[in-house]
Amino acid sequence: MADLLFYLFAGITLISALVMVLMPNAVNGAMCMIVSFLGTAALFVLLEAYFLAILQVLVYAGAVMVLFLFIIMLLDVGEDSPAVKPAKLSIFAALTGFVILSGLVISLFTDPASLPATPAFEVAENPTGLSANNGIPFTTSAKSFGYSLFTKYMLPFQMTGFLLLAAMVGVIVVSKRITETEPEAETTD
Amino acid sequence: MNEGLADFLRGIAATNEWWVILPEILLAVLALGLLVLELLSPNIRKLVPRVAMAGQGVILVLLLAFGCSDCGGVPEESYFGGLLQSNEWTMVMRVFFLFSALMVSYLGGLFLARQNLAKEEFYHLVILVAAAMMLLVQSNNFVMLFVALEMVTVAFYVLVAYRRSSSLSLEAGIKYLILGALSSSILLFGIVLLYGVGGNPALPGASGDSLNFDALGSFIALNPDNPLVLTGAMLVLAGVCFKIGAVPFQIWVPDVYQGAPTPVTAYLAVASKAAGFMVLLGLLHGPFLSLQGFLVPVLVAISGASILFGNIAAVTQGNLKRLLGLSGIAHAGYLLMGVVASCSVDWADRAVLFYLITYLLASFAVFTVLSIAGQGDDAETSMETYRNLSQRQPFLGGVLTLGLGSLAGIPPLGGFIAKLFLFVAAFQAGLYGLLIVSVLGVVISIYYYFGWIRTVYFKSTGATDEAASAEVLGIQARCVMGFLVAAIILLGVFPGAMSLL
Repeated sequence: MADLLFYLFAGITLISALVMVLMPNAVNGAMCMIVSFLGTAALFVLLEAYFLAILQVLVYAGAVMVLFLFIIMLLDVGEDSPAVKPAKLSIFAALTGFVILSGLVISLFTDPASLPATPAFEVAENPTGLSANNGIPFTTSAKSFGYSLFTKYMLPFQMTGFLLLAAMVGVIVVSKRITETEPEAETTD
Repeated sequence: MNEGLADFLRGIAATNEWWVILPEILLAVLALGLLVLELLSPNIRKLVPRVAMAGQGVILVLLLAFGCSDCGGVPEESYFGGLLQSNEWTMVMRVFFLFSALMVSYLGGLFLARQNLAKEEFYHLVILVAAAMMLLVQSNNFVMLFVALEMVTVAFYVLVAYRRSSSLSLEAGIKYLILGALSSSILLFGIVLLYGVGGNPALPGASGDSLNFDALGSFIALNPDNPLVLTGAMLVLAGVCFKIGAVPFQIWVPDVYQGAPTPVTAYLAVASKAAGFMVLLGLLHGPFLSLQGFLVPVLVAISGASILFGNIAAVTQGNLKRLLGLSGIAHAGYLLMGVVASCSVDWADRAVLFYLITYLLASFAVFTVLSIAGQGDDAETSMETYRNLSQRQPFLGGVLTLGLGSLAGIPPLGGFIAKLFLFVAAFQAGLYGLLIVSVLGVVISIYYYFGWIRTVYFKSTGATDEAASAEVLGIQARCVMGFLVAAIILLGVFPGAMSLL
């Protein structure tokens, strides 16, 4: 059952990603990207990483996509925009990527030694007890993220707040139009 | 939650000793306070620059008074569950960054008075950058390191693009944004590789907390040949080299230095570079200690290439801010030589620190002159602006000469002693090839530094003195520049004076 679901969602993810790349209309492409993100989120659910799945939906399928749509609408990229001819460099990049990918696939399927013989969970037990992982239990629930954030990583967490503040102040600075003309010396430009 | 876990979490939270980072907290509060002040009436708004400078001055004095009283040979101590680590260097560097921020705020005041721009946010961002750099040099964990570094970088994106009316500034901002994001992602990729391989239970020495420098260091000591470790370390190194502007990652330097407002250029040149070097030193002597055999040849190559590229490219450069950027690449090369030497000579890290301090003093002296004497459009500073400066403004001319002389490494000045220390360290470390390259670099650098000095003292044949608008120097500007020059000469004549700082 889980296998079937895995192939189903993996297929949805891959196909919608492919459609997104090939779609001439940018807005439709963005919609396909949402489907791809949702498929990835479903894969996370199959791995029992529920928190990650929720984040994937909220952040990527939600916030990031809204941002993308805003940009598409601001740039006003319609269907009538001429198709961009692939530059030599991007052809070269695509070829390189393809060669690396095929090399990986060939080495995976022809040489069984390239895959680890034992799965990771057999190499070592998931450590339990308080000394493992500095006392914070290995779970995928949001609670354990909270434990870490508010004890061990309190300082970086607070700093991230300041980072966002600096970014916000920056957006205002760069986009604010100064109306009052108050410089003491002569203005230039 | 069970009782054991609760106890454990309380134990971790108990190491969050906030008083250790009191200067940083005070700076953050000051930065927030400036934003609040800005909201109040326009009269109070005018006080913001003064409040910013006074606040930073008070914090600097407090740091010097209480921090350095016991900083002579403090043992390494960890705080915040191993996120931060303080040693004798971190205190010096905190003073260094705070002083840079104070200087940049002062230069920012000069700059903003001539521009029709948002004023208050400049101080806010400068102070936040200083606080983040102060945490950056203390970080002992890759999470902390990355968050602090991103904080610095994000604030710098804004500061570089601050003069939004100028297309050069916006171009610099875009370039810095894209290349900075790229370098951050390279750094992050390296960190993730190290974290992943360090947490692999199949390998000896794996730990559940492999982002911590100590745990990662002991893991790498057991697996120095693991390809993932080597790849990760190289990527981390590449990310840091971007920040210091060393050669394969130097493309952004001239454009960004030119387009950014002059105070921000000074900040980038001095504080951002110093932070990068401190991170590099911390990594090389911390987690990457057992990789030195692998990393040293790479660093030697980067250092030599930086020295040659920076100096040769600067020779033909007519724009002074680009020239300072290119010569900054060369200075990064000399400093990298000191970093390499510190792997085998134990006092070389002191030489790096001394070089950074003299570089700070000389750079700020030059940038202060640039801010005062520069014309309105501060991206287009050409040599011609300084033609015959010594006649029009003898004081500025003198300060500029001493600053440039120190950057070039002329004997009675601090820059000479700093270079001498680095060269002796490199000699003791047996880096003879690199030493030859850097001596060659110094000889080339004298050509363009003295070209500038010559312009200051001599009239051109056909030029008219139309830019003879001799602004009267305020007493404040004289005091600031006098202090910088006095410190440069003091460090040159009596290098032991550094221990007083």
